[in-house]
Amino acid sequence: MTRRSAVAWVAAAALLAGLPLVVKNSFFLHVCILVFLWTVLGEAWNALGGYAGQVSFGHAAFFGVGAYVTIVLFLKADVAPWWGIPVGGAAAAAFAVPFGLITFRLKGPYFSLATLAVAELTKLVALNWEWATNGSTGYLVTHLPPLRLGGLTVDWETKTPFYLAALSLLVVAMGTIGWLSRSRLGAWLTAIRENDEAAEAVGIDTVRAKVLTLALSAFLAGMGGGFYAFYFRYVDPDAVLNIGLSMEMVFIAMVGGLGTVGGPFIGAVFLTTVGEAMREKFQVGHLVFYGLFMMLVIRFLPEGIWGRVRRAIRRAPAVEVSRGAA
Amino acid sequence: MRKLVLSLLVALAGTASAQTLKIGAPQPMTGPDAPFGDKFKKAYGMAVEEINAAGGVNGKKIEVVIEDHMAKNALAATVAEKLITQEKVLILTGGRASGQAMEIASVAQRLKTPYMVDHPSADMITTKGFEWVFRNNPTGSIYPAAFNDFISKYPDAMPRSAAVVYDNTLFGKTIAGAAMKFLKSKGVAIVADEAYPVNTLDFKPIMTKVKGTNPDYMLLVAVATTDAILVTRHAKEMGIQSRAFVGFGGGFGVADFASQLGGLAENVFSSAAWSGNPNDPRTKAFYDKFHAKYGIWPHEHEVEGYAAIYIIADALKRAKLTGNLDADRDAIRKALLETNMETVFGKVKFGNWTGPTGDPFTNQNVYSLEHSVLAQWQKGQLLNVWPKEFAETKLVFPDPSTAKK
Amino acid sequence: MGALYAMIGIGLTIVFGVMRIINLAHGEFVMLGMFAAFWSQKLWGLDPFLSIVLWTPVLFGAGVLVYRFLLRRIIPGGELNTLLYTAGLSLLVANLALLLWSGDYRTLPLAYAVTPMRPLGVAVPVALAIGFAIAGAITLALWLFLSRTDAGRAIRATSQNPEAAVLMGIDVERVAALAFGLGTALAGAAGVLLAPSLYLYPTVGELLIVKSFVIVVLGGLGSVPGAIAGGILLGLVESLGAVYVSTTYKDGLGYVMFLLVLLYRPSGLFGVGKAG
Repeated sequence: MTRRSAVAWVAAAALLAGLPLVVKNSFFLHVCILVFLWTVLGEAWNALGGYAGQVSFGHAAFFGVGAYVTIVLFLKADVAPWWGIPVGGAAAAAFAVPFGLITFRLKGPYFSLATLAVAELTKLVALNWEWATNGSTGYLVTHLPPLRLGGLTVDWETKTPFYLAALSLLVVAMGTIGWLSRSRLGAWLTAIRENDEAAEAVGIDTVRAKVLTLALSAFLAGMGGGFYAFYFRYVDPDAVLNIGLSMEMVFIAMVGGLGTVGGPFIGAVFLTTVGEAMREKFQVGHLVFYGLFMMLVIRFLPEGIWGRVRRAIRRAPAVEVSRGAA
Repeated sequence: MRKLVLSLLVALAGTASAQTLKIGAPQPMTGPDAPFGDKFKKAYGMAVEEINAAGGVNGKKIEVVIEDHMAKNALAATVAEKLITQEKVLILTGGRASGQAMEIASVAQRLKTPYMVDHPSADMITTKGFEWVFRNNPTGSIYPAAFNDFISKYPDAMPRSAAVVYDNTLFGKTIAGAAMKFLKSKGVAIVADEAYPVNTLDFKPIMTKVKGTNPDYMLLVAVATTDAILVTRHAKEMGIQSRAFVGFGGGFGVADFASQLGGLAENVFSSAAWSGNPNDPRTKAFYDKFHAKYGIWPHEHEVEGYAAIYIIADALKRAKLTGNLDADRDAIRKALLETNMETVFGKVKFGNWTGPTGDPFTNQNVYSLEHSVLAQWQKGQLLNVWPKEFAETKLVFPDPSTAKK
Repeated sequence: MGALYAMIGIGLTIVFGVMRIINLAHGEFVMLGMFAAFWSQKLWGLDPFLSIVLWTPVLFGAGVLVYRFLLRRIIPGGELNTLLYTAGLSLLVANLALLLWSGDYRTLPLAYAVTPMRPLGVAVPVALAIGFAIAGAITLALWLFLSRTDAGRAIRATSQNPEAAVLMGIDVERVAALAFGLGTALAGAAGVLLAPSLYLYPTVGELLIVKSFVIVVLGGLGSVPGAIAGGILLGLVESLGAVYVSTTYKDGLGYVMFLLVLLYRPSGLFGVGKAG
């Protein structure tokens, strides 16, 4: 990262942080929170799917584990969300290790199908393990713990604290992925994505690299889940362990740009706004456009919106993002 | 990009004139629950048309703003928020499934906007002390009320044993849990306790297992009509010999149930939150009018949606509206607390009381227990048979076609 | 039911074998078949077991067109692109259907199929029995096609070794179109046959596709006999699992089996596919 782009990123974050001071429309802030949350999830997925080329259809499992751990800690042990959310992320990361050790024995579409199966099993367990998850009844949070920061009592009934929390998660997620893309691990991942066998041949411990990345990815997705639990205040298996959720993470990374740091943000903005506008216009048929839109992006912008824009800006020779999963 | 979002939001902001009184209704218009969203849309439409044709509410027209939540919880919260802050509705209704209704209730409570629940049945919605949330329909734990009454009072009806087969949704578990709790309190052995996932295509394996336990009563719970029909079909086809088959959930009371099961539907009981007595002139008038307008016969959902608009209109009429949104919403909440009327769904008055499983209700219709009716399929018709005062015909018990001779 | 799932699975497996595409829109083709059966009975009074003769070729044509105009250019972009592309297609088709036909749950009752047959005292639904028989016949015909005709052999050759197939002078492009058409036709035909036994609604495809995946993987991706065996096996495991383990975890059993097979017998229990 050049110094200039670092400054640009920090300035953008500061600008976003100041937004609630100017914008008072709470629905607008709500939409921003959703965009941030989706970006975090898209980044999480992108670490594995974009950089390492391992397409997971089971990321809802990590989101769900994070959501459940965070909300259960709060309701049963009074652990405040600002501790609970990172713990939830850590729990998701811990969960990711066996998840990865099982599924990474497989490659390409077989890996994808296996993640789907593991995620469905996780949901099934959540539905039936009443003692831990309260089954299909789920958990509801009615009151959030009081918090004083710098002499001010945080008002949980307003959007601002959630907005700032979501923004912090966003910064953490983008920072992590930005670091990843420049780290040695990131280089290994690119090698794995391009050619798994060749990567192995040059001495990269591919399974370890993938499991590490998965844990990182799960940590971010799990924190997203924890945030979801406190923002939406109700967690049940259908809401947080849904296949649809896994798929949406894929879409966001895909539409924005695989293997890029900025991509998921663009993807989240685009899908949130386009989705909302279409929902408004065409009550019943809006998902038709969603599907059509996906097909068009893949057909004409296979590198994603951000990937394309970045290439146009840099006018550099295209960095070919190969997408073969195996 | 940010500009785009802003301009989009401005475009999204409500445009209707202040002359209409707006009611917000998040419903699943697409996704797996879309058919239900459509039922409510029709029911609301008819009620709004009638009320406006009769001069509206205090001279103002009412309007229902429906937003699609696609049966997704997060989206339900989003559209509830949007209806409250952007569309500036005075009150919310709808929701359809309990997960989404939980989110809507949570948002309504936070943003101090009344939410009149018309159909979602999870007990939790009115047991968390949300003073902005009201519910007309009975909760899940109330569904078995008429059945419990029947087995307690009808001669020799107390089950000697019971098998309970239910779907693993919140709805299924709540009802099965309430029914089993009551049965256990009467010393009835639960010989089978089987949960199945929604949209099960084959119940024969479960029924093979259940048959081995030889249950005296067969209790079936289904949130989906498809499951209600299939679970009954397979239970009967496997030749389970029980004195009574009792279904809980709307699917056991719809016309499809009889038309698809034919003779297998005969003598099956349906213990529902509501099974309209078609002989009641008010119900019959509603049925006929609805059928004339839309060409389909209404069921529980349509009745609930239609009644909800009348309850809301009644509260709007009594509330002193000033044009200040916050004050008006509070006035409507207070007016709802004073509600005491009768709709096609039945009597309604909101109050705080203790439910059948010991949960404290807030603003739950106090007549809920009375809404529960035990009906029975006889010659292709669903007739109310219990409690006695609502009975249209004599009940058939034990079921001669399945009971052991 | 198992035979019909197997038929859906065969369609999926042929497409995968030849093109290495996991077609997420496969369930939607089944849905289209169901609706085709529904409307031809409703509008023209055609029994689904007759209208299958009409709809199978129509869906075959539709499949070829989808391949030619929508999929062909995407395939070189890699597996992930095609996967997501078909996911988009699935959304598009399902919601178009929702727009056209509304989300009502419909049934296609057959007057002669209300009371089940009772051979040996076991209740067997008539519609399912007929569907089973026809599915069996179609599967057999397909097997003959694949093993006895040149086009069929070309398909099998391509799925076993695409490079070698090219060297042998097989027009892979044509084979792919043929395979995709075949896969679509099988899905559609299964839909037509399922219509009298299942509820039909625009999003029914989701429900069916998950099971077909499990079946296909059990049998080995790309293997036709594997898909048949997988269908029967899944049916057995689910039935026995519900009786001897627990109903709640019955679906889980399918997934566990799916994972175990993927991990320890990646080519499927009987298959020719290869994982990893």
